[in-house]
Amino acid sequence: MKIKREDILHLANLSNFTLSDEEVLSLGKDLQDIIKYISQLDDLDTSEVKSTYQVFEMENVWRSDEIIEQDASSEQLLALTKNEKDNQIKVPKVL
Amino acid sequence: MKYIPTIGIECHVQLCTKTKLFSEVNNDARGKEPNSCVSPVDYSLPGMLPRLNGEAIRMAILAGRAMNCEINPRSRFDRKHYFYPDSPKGYQITQFYEPIIGAGYVELPSGTRIRIEHAHLEGDAGKLTHFDSYSLVDLNRVDTPLIEIVSMPDIHSASDAHDYCKELWRLMCFAEVTYGDLYNGNMRFDVNVSLAPEGSDKLGTRTEVKNLNSFKSVERAVEYEIKRQSKILDAGEKVIQETRGWNDAKGETTSQRSKEEAKDYRYMPEPDLPPINLSDEFIEAESAKLPLMPTDYRQIFGDIIPNDTLEVLLDYPTLMKKLGQIEHEYTKKQSAITLIANLFASVLLAEEKSAEYLNDLPSAKDLIELVEMNNNRELSSTATKEVFLRLFDPQMKGRGAKQIAKELGLIQENDLEALEKIVDTVLTKPETKKAQDDFRAGQEKVLGFLVGQVMKESHGKANPSAVQDILRKKLS
Repeated sequence: MKIKREDILHLANLSNFTLSDEEVLSLGKDLQDIIKYISQLDDLDTSEVKSTYQVFEMENVWRSDEIIEQDASSEQLLALTKNEKDNQIKVPKVL
Repeated sequence: MKYIPTIGIECHVQLCTKTKLFSEVNNDARGKEPNSCVSPVDYSLPGMLPRLNGEAIRMAILAGRAMNCEINPRSRFDRKHYFYPDSPKGYQITQFYEPIIGAGYVELPSGTRIRIEHAHLEGDAGKLTHFDSYSLVDLNRVDTPLIEIVSMPDIHSASDAHDYCKELWRLMCFAEVTYGDLYNGNMRFDVNVSLAPEGSDKLGTRTEVKNLNSFKSVERAVEYEIKRQSKILDAGEKVIQETRGWNDAKGETTSQRSKEEAKDYRYMPEPDLPPINLSDEFIEAESAKLPLMPTDYRQIFGDIIPNDTLEVLLDYPTLMKKLGQIEHEYTKKQSAITLIANLFASVLLAEEKSAEYLNDLPSAKDLIELVEMNNNRELSSTATKEVFLRLFDPQMKGRGAKQIAKELGLIQENDLEALEKIVDTVLTKPETKKAQDDFRAGQEKVLGFLVGQVMKESHGKANPSAVQDILRKKLS
């Protein structure tokens, strides 16, 4: 599979990244290498292998439905944002 | 040309768990400040891990059973990636490949069955408010547990779309998995509509109208789309597959920016949440906790309560539960249920404060006492209504129907001897002399006047029909 320049730009757009031309090139090369590495699996017959979902073999890890006081207060959390207004996070207009 | 509409509906239901789906903060943000019910997990701070709320799984089982669905023993979570300020994580945790709820169906009051394709658990997104030059983000809603219910395209009219959404709402409320407050977005509907020429076996191009939050707006949006698409097809043009928004004030749908395609969401297994693997015993034990559903009540009360009244009452799970209790506890069921169902539908729901009253109903015992007083003719029908409403009155409730009726002086005099005495007193009064003569001379009408005089003498407590009988006897 060949990674094209448009693919990188499309992926960047989905994540709202602005990339320089150099980054498009280097990221494209990295992604190409990663896919090539993973593609080695294509040489194996995996038709009998169940796809792996997670590697810890744990199941049913649930907690009870009880409210627990948080270490970080809502004020501390809100203070992490760049801009705030009326207890809300202020962001550029999006529609 | 005549077109047949085909409609499928996705419904998001907010679950009423105490905490969020993946963090231990309060899930009930009603009436609270923005960004006050939040945790570092909701903010997606580095290193924070989701922890699955077991109650959401139990509620999903109930919701599934309410829709006659299979519960899948094995289910798991996936990440659905998108970039938008309502999600600090940059992805939503959902169940894309293996949902917890499998196929089932919802039966409408008309008997029509709408099949359910599947339903899955996922976290809600934050809430955005848009202003002229900026938007504000409130993360209280982030990871409120949702069940997304996906119907098969089995709906073919706007009114069935309305009825399906309403029945879903009832099912979820009766199953007690949601507060069911539509005004505050506890249930939201996305509606897919396509048209095909009558007789065609191919489906047309569909549009999706997103984020409807009332049954009425679902019905109106479907009606609008059917008209709009018919016009396009009649003109020989093509319907564009797109997402549309609903403007309730204008009563129209408008094109919205096209959303990502499924592959653009880059679904991947959620590595932080181990899969769910439910035993048959667990599924069965949880399913057994499902309360009675509207269909059950239709079966129990279908012959006793008129259909119109029953369908009104089925919008109020607490009332149906109370009727079920009375049915269970009282031997003379038929008359009791009919009377109380009527009082609920015509007296209680007409009250200004009915919404408050619904949360704290009188005991079955109080209501049964009221029924018995009515049946024994101790209370007239007007007095029965009055005492009934007082059973909800914060000042009087808890005193019991009998005590309240006594305090208000509403108990009818049925003791014939006592009534006869009162009638005699009235008949000896000179001002009733003429009426007595007139009645004997054949003037039926004056009987009303005489009954009125007796009622006055008894301070309104005499049973009027008994008084009439006595008067007739005495004046014959």
